[in-house]
Amino acid sequence: MGLLQELIFGLVSGSYIAIAAIGFTLIYGIVNMINFAYGEYLTMGAFIGYLAANVLPGPFPVAVVIAMIGGGIVSIVLARGFFSPINHTGPVPMLLTSIGLGIALRNAIRLFGGRSARYFETETLTFRFDAVPDISVGPVDFLGGFFITSEHLIVIGSAMGVFTVVHLLLTRTDVGIAMRAMGDDETLARVRGIDTQLIRDSVWVLAGVLAGLAGVLMAVQTNVSADTGYSHILQILSAAILGGAGSPYGAILGAYVIGLVLAVSTAFLPSSMTGLSSAMAFMILIAVLLVKPSGIAGTEVREA
Amino acid sequence: MSSDIIERVDRRAFLTIAGSGGIAGLSGCVGFGGGEESSDGGSDGDGPDTIVFGQPGALSGSFDFLQPGVSQAADAAVRHINEAGGLLGAELELVRRDTAVDPQEARTVTTQLVENDDAAAIVGLFSSEINPLWDFLQDLQIPVVTPWPGSTFLDTRGGDKGTPDDVSDDEWVWRTVVGDTVHTGGSAIYALEEGYETLGIINGNTEGERSYVDGFLSVYEENGGTVAEQVEVELGSSSYQSALSRLFNADFDAFLVSMPQESAITALSDWSDGGYGRQPILSDTLAQQAVIDQVGSDLHGAWVASPGRSGPSYDTFEGVYSEEGDAEINGWTPPSWDAVQVTALAIERAGETSPEAIQSNLGPVSRGEGTTVSSFAEGKEALANGEEITYEGAATPVDFTEHGNAFGSVTISTAEEGGFTETTEVPAEDVREYVSEGEY
Repeated sequence: MGLLQELIFGLVSGSYIAIAAIGFTLIYGIVNMINFAYGEYLTMGAFIGYLAANVLPGPFPVAVVIAMIGGGIVSIVLARGFFSPINHTGPVPMLLTSIGLGIALRNAIRLFGGRSARYFETETLTFRFDAVPDISVGPVDFLGGFFITSEHLIVIGSAMGVFTVVHLLLTRTDVGIAMRAMGDDETLARVRGIDTQLIRDSVWVLAGVLAGLAGVLMAVQTNVSADTGYSHILQILSAAILGGAGSPYGAILGAYVIGLVLAVSTAFLPSSMTGLSSAMAFMILIAVLLVKPSGIAGTEVREA
Repeated sequence: MSSDIIERVDRRAFLTIAGSGGIAGLSGCVGFGGGEESSDGGSDGDGPDTIVFGQPGALSGSFDFLQPGVSQAADAAVRHINEAGGLLGAELELVRRDTAVDPQEARTVTTQLVENDDAAAIVGLFSSEINPLWDFLQDLQIPVVTPWPGSTFLDTRGGDKGTPDDVSDDEWVWRTVVGDTVHTGGSAIYALEEGYETLGIINGNTEGERSYVDGFLSVYEENGGTVAEQVEVELGSSSYQSALSRLFNADFDAFLVSMPQESAITALSDWSDGGYGRQPILSDTLAQQAVIDQVGSDLHGAWVASPGRSGPSYDTFEGVYSEEGDAEINGWTPPSWDAVQVTALAIERAGETSPEAIQSNLGPVSRGEGTTVSSFAEGKEALANGEEITYEGAATPVDFTEHGNAFGSVTISTAEEGGFTETTEVPAEDVREYVSEGEY
């Protein structure tokens, strides 16, 4: 199998991360906090989706929609309960609160959700394209036969759908334009008559909806457990920072860079180093930040 | 304005109360403080009312799916001991705490069990915990008799060095499960017998997974097998397709998977989706129905070598175990029973619960020339009659080597429609040929 196959694997990994990273970076850009509990939002989305798929009749997409709605509700409830009351304290207390909330939520999920991993019952189809010629340069085949599964297509398709909807939301709706205005200058946005609390609430709901979707997609590929989201939070955080913290477009770009680095480094690193593919992704992150501290998309990092 | 201030104050007060309650709740969850008060078992003449064994366990984490069977076996052993009149006339109590197989958590939990719960012995701990905590456990000087660790690290570490009366040269870890060297050796022998002479390997990057592979390869390569490709992966990834793509670019007959269950299910599902084929050989922790259920029929024919479950007193164990609950028996379940039994017998023979007394009696009750006993009840009676005893275990004969290791047969199980079916057994003597005296 050649580079083309690795690119497909990288696209799939990047898509999982991108959907979640958009929600994460919107919170950072507009609420001005790094939400370390966001991994648990994904986990709760996965659990809600799993419950819906097993309790309610109807096709799997119905469970996904319920997970997204549930994720949005959970996100706004948690924001109202834990973050809105301390909005005025600044990013550091909110960051610390999110770390504590994440630990509490993870343990609560473990306590009430049980310790066993659960699995979605899904059928996967594999589409093979073996007749593609190898175009080799040295030891590397640039093309070559490849396969893609229905799960891969759903993940990539979902990501493309999310990118489109988020783009339209941010550019064509009053709420989206207000979000961007708040991201630039909250005080000025308030002076211009924008209901900043309403916009914050909208961001929390949107981030929760995206977490619900990403959680279900990750759980379909892996499993539903207390660590479903937590095990990916560093990749999500890295994608957001790599792309330019606060920028949804940067987060998408950062997610695909990380996904592709993960796939390609596993394929081409020496045998003794294949377990370090995540480390390679983080090295790319450090290298980019050293050269361009504002991240790939160039959005200025807000003062903490 | 004032109502706004009042509202803020009320909210702050609410958050303070909720936060305090949460901290208090969490404190309860993570187990600050000790369990029930118990006597320390010192030789004060009157004897203790209660003797405590501490069990660090995988109540959460990557190996939590194995814990129910291990817990049930330990609980069954405790019940059996108490029904036989208790330990030195005292009630035996088991205090179990979660480590999530995290070394730092294991260090905290072990300290809590010893300091807060007054545990006389520890009947748990994994390879991934023991290896990094080795010096700590030696400084602690409490006998650790554990059913978990397969690590080759322990092959020449632990036990009484064949001198039970002299604890100065002892190392305080004993294991009642056969080490990876033994059952991976059995797996390697079986692979070669089946004609799989070239191997691909995919393994996790933790101590336990690496140790399993090292044990397998030491026998496999020594006997003519070759490794075409080895890919090490991070656990908990959402996809292992890139690693599999790399692995299956190589030419080999069979591939060995050494990963914890959840990551292995993801990897094997990816393997099935990718249609990579070839013969899978699974590490011992993967002999679970859930693996077949999630991966599907492509996995049928995959085989697992695990520590044998046919020790001399397996029937005795099984009878008591089945009355305790319905947890699935896995490869670590009978060793858990053995760990509690042999530790209790060491205390009974010693007549006291000091760490040195337990440590110096574990060898004599397991490998002596005395009366063969298959349970604590039989052993207690024989000791009361002034006889020496040799405990024959449920998983193995529990003849502790000088390094505190157990030796036994290896069971080969094959994945089929209804689960893993035992297909053959590699006798202990066959494996023994490949494990040098003094090296295990």
